[in-house]
Amino acid sequence: MMRCAIVGYGFLGRALVKSLRESYGGRVKVTCIANSRGTLFKEGGVDLNQLPAELSEAVGFREVSPIDYLDKRWVDVLVELTPTNVIDGRPGIDYIRAAMRAGLDVVTANKGPLALAFDELMREAEDKGVLLRYEATVGGGIPVFTLHRYYLKSDKLISIRGILNGTSNYILTRMHFEGMPMDLALEEARMLGIAERDSKLDTEGIDTAIKSVILANSLLQAKKRLSDVKITGINSITLDAIHAAKEMGMTIKLMGLVEDGKISVEPRLIRLNHPLCVHGTLNAIDIIAENLGSLTLIGHGAGKSTVTALLSDLNDIARLKYID
Amino acid sequence: MRFKVTVGLPDRPGTLLRTLEQIALNGGNIISIIHNRERITGGYVPVNIQVDFPDQECLERSKVSIESLGIPVLGTETLEKRVETVLILGPSQVGRVVDTFNSLGLKIVGVSVSGLPSSPCLKVVMELPIQGRKTLLDRLEGAVSSLGGLLIREED
Repeated sequence: MMRCAIVGYGFLGRALVKSLRESYGGRVKVTCIANSRGTLFKEGGVDLNQLPAELSEAVGFREVSPIDYLDKRWVDVLVELTPTNVIDGRPGIDYIRAAMRAGLDVVTANKGPLALAFDELMREAEDKGVLLRYEATVGGGIPVFTLHRYYLKSDKLISIRGILNGTSNYILTRMHFEGMPMDLALEEARMLGIAERDSKLDTEGIDTAIKSVILANSLLQAKKRLSDVKITGINSITLDAIHAAKEMGMTIKLMGLVEDGKISVEPRLIRLNHPLCVHGTLNAIDIIAENLGSLTLIGHGAGKSTVTALLSDLNDIARLKYID
Repeated sequence: MRFKVTVGLPDRPGTLLRTLEQIALNGGNIISIIHNRERITGGYVPVNIQVDFPDQECLERSKVSIESLGIPVLGTETLEKRVETVLILGPSQVGRVVDTFNSLGLKIVGVSVSGLPSSPCLKVVMELPIQGRKTLLDRLEGAVSSLGGLLIREED
């Protein structure tokens, strides 16, 4: 049985535990769960049915770093779910590196480490003979990396473009359909839990840029960093601009664009009947390949759908390494 | 790529045939020929020839070949254009924005302005050659940005 450590116990960690408990029982054993305050470790496996709402109230919870438990004696796979940090990738990048050094496979939903050091991390994984999976980092439940790994690898990819940030898409959607000013739409998004209190990553296009870098590096072997991206967010989009677009049967969407060896994030005019023109918090990714042509994937870019991506990565690792 | 080539043909038998031969030898596929007999000037009949060439270089070679026969090429024009709309947000100097389009050789079909004078929204409808469209849009974006504005272009 594959043994997991879950590091990061926020919304996503809890949703993953719930799925493991309800529909995945028996195939994965969770030996370690950690949050920012400490670690719960049970060599024989944490009883997921007995977990209190607050992890720190669990019997055996200790105020220690999980890093000492990332050891092949107790764990096979690290599921790394700490918050994204685009400055230095910490603490996620430290956990990922420690796990790989210890010979553990890694599944992560954390964009920071991959946006900052994609090539280095992939090389380290290869050197150690471990798998690093990151389906949950872009597009939530949209299986873009799995699709590439198992279906598109033999085709030559030309470009990628997409609506990759649900919060900015929600704001632009409300501006388009309800004529709502941006600040109100943002406030509404905060109230609904769609936007973070500090929504700069979303509205300034940084989150879209991070995801574009991961897509470019993973699918096009672009060797790009966040600093290579030309970023324009949605802060200067006015209702007048939305109205002008609407008069032409179009709207404005924040797009991540990977083409001709360049990555950019910018608002674009897009026809309302364009396959990429999705609304609300939906994400859409369009891959253009030499033989396949254009392939558009649409799905929820955040929330519970991301658990599907985590489980898919865990399944993939189990299939490749732990099931005879 | 489709081009319009305007030649000034002396009104003598065989000159059109020789012109067309040069176009065909350089990979051109003739689409249509229009004689402007009502516009004869200096003994020449302006003739508009619409032709598909594989690229701009073939057009240039044809031009040289035709002129080597003593037949003047009065003009060439790229015909494959598309009408495209961009939004420009921010810069209050509308005149300078229009100048930017002109300096890049972009033909403006229509302009409308909305919003506050301090943060106007310009909707500009323009004609863009299909060949080199992306480069032109990039240059336009850079020029608009240097005026403190944001250009929002149309996604294909």
